[in-house]
Amino acid sequence: MSGTTGLALATRGLRKNYGPRRALDGLDLSVPEGVVYGFLGPNGAGKTTTMRVLTGLIHADGGKVELLGKPFKRGDRRRLFEVGALVESPTFYPYLSARANLRELAASGAPVPSKRIEELLDLVGLCDRSNDKVQGFSMGMKQRLGIAGALLSDPKLLLLDEPANGLDPAGIVAMRDTLKALASQGKTVFVSSHLLAEIQVMADVVGIIAAGKLVREGPLKELLSMQGVVKARVRPNLVDAAIETLVPLAPTERLTETDRDEGWLAVHIAADRAEDVSQKLAGAGIYVSGLESGNDLEMLFLELTGGQTIDGEGTFIGLGGPGNGNVTSGKDTAA
Amino acid sequence: MRLFFSGLRKLVRRPATWVTAGLLIGLLVLIIVAVGATANGRAVRANGAEAKLLVTFPGAYDRILQFITGLGGLFAVIYGAAIAGSEWSWGTLKSSVARGESRVRYMLITYVTVAVMIALGLLITFAAGVVAAIVGAHLAGVSTSGLGDSATLSDLPERLLKGWFAVVEEGALGFTIATLARSQLAGIGAGIAFYFGEGFASIFLPDIVKYLPFSVANASLATASSGATTDAFGGGASGLPADQALVLVGVWLVGALVLAALFSDRAEIAG
Repeated sequence: MSGTTGLALATRGLRKNYGPRRALDGLDLSVPEGVVYGFLGPNGAGKTTTMRVLTGLIHADGGKVELLGKPFKRGDRRRLFEVGALVESPTFYPYLSARANLRELAASGAPVPSKRIEELLDLVGLCDRSNDKVQGFSMGMKQRLGIAGALLSDPKLLLLDEPANGLDPAGIVAMRDTLKALASQGKTVFVSSHLLAEIQVMADVVGIIAAGKLVREGPLKELLSMQGVVKARVRPNLVDAAIETLVPLAPTERLTETDRDEGWLAVHIAADRAEDVSQKLAGAGIYVSGLESGNDLEMLFLELTGGQTIDGEGTFIGLGGPGNGNVTSGKDTAA
Repeated sequence: MRLFFSGLRKLVRRPATWVTAGLLIGLLVLIIVAVGATANGRAVRANGAEAKLLVTFPGAYDRILQFITGLGGLFAVIYGAAIAGSEWSWGTLKSSVARGESRVRYMLITYVTVAVMIALGLLITFAAGVVAAIVGAHLAGVSTSGLGDSATLSDLPERLLKGWFAVVEEGALGFTIATLARSQLAGIGAGIAFYFGEGFASIFLPDIVKYLPFSVANASLATASSGATTDAFGGGASGLPADQALVLVGVWLVGALVLAALFSDRAEIAG
């Protein structure tokens, strides 16, 4: 596999069919080391299939996987000793306590020091309930325990499928902080999620998958900066002058009037540059009466996935299909 | 060894283990004590003397063991299916595989722990049965002088070992059926159906059924004193000599576990 140096996880041309249905269609992922990687896609796009392949639960029909710089093929199960995973819903023996479940899980795979279990129970906030049977746990508590299970071997690469499922707001914040802290320690966190806002505040790099193919991958800031927009409202008769004034900030094709009658124009630049827009216009004697800015992973997601909702239940009219967006940064891998 | 001891801890704490053993012990004790308590009253009837044999030593040892391996075989099928099926239904196999555990090792060691629990269950149930038979003998006014019969006692370890082997084979069938079904309930249901189906078929197809797993398990326990065993439906499915049946028990046991291991290794784990 070429070009995978410095990557914690890489797939090349990954293919998987379920009967006549193609779940993965040449997926190429490149997950750098030491980042939180957000893996996004509508339902049925192939996220969970990818997770299953990466954890050896199912086998790909074609393509290659590299985990932590080494090939991961059928039979290379020991590669998973350095990987922690929570795939789909967390699974436990319902009649055992949280502590006992972690202890029995630790008996498989890589050896785990017993004190690690106590550390993890503390980390996920389950110390008080550690002797309670899991069958009485809420979804959120099971999810916390599942995350603890994924961290048992102190993995270099963590694969989490919808880790925020069932967590309360405090739990989500704690999980986010934990995952960021792990990444800051040099570990790689690969998170599949349907919570775009959560990924937006947590991920360093995102990959967006649709119909089994990667349609966009790159640093989140870079992708969002190109997705950003600053809208300014000036006097309608000054719109043309304002556009001319703003040319140094953005090329003409990224300057559009959105409502001439109301005097709104849009500058497709990073959202945090609203001040620059205001300053530039003021410098030219054009004063804004309104200023809005923002960038939105959801917009990018919808553009790239053909306007499919995250639940895959329909399309938003007017958002266009893949390739219709203006986003040009990042690694565009759409076929 | 980590996996083995983990498997034992899981089974010891599992309610199904104690429910299964409790049911078998409860039924055995209830029947023996009931027979002992009513044997005298039934003495006037034709089966009165026959009933007393259940609480008359040393023959009681053999009858208790026959009861355990007979009904215990069905319980073993259910127990084996419950253990294997839950690994798929609860997704706990998935978690271990995702940690890099070998599927084949995991499934085989899990069954080894089941076999250990069956051995413990057999010994405890047998001991409870002997105590119940002593109580039953007192109730029936039968002498317990045969309790220490040296010839029977010297033969007992081998009989228990063979009984355990037969029950382990039956448990392996439930274990494999549930593995193939990837479901606890489906495994238990199919296991029970297979158990009774074989017994039922023995009425019509005794020459074929005598080679099937439950029949060979029964036949492997036949002794010169007990004669040829019969299946639950009274069919003549146990025509095989005990030694030959014992070999076939081993073949069925190994075959079932190999099938479970191969299927687990090849299966796509989802859900």
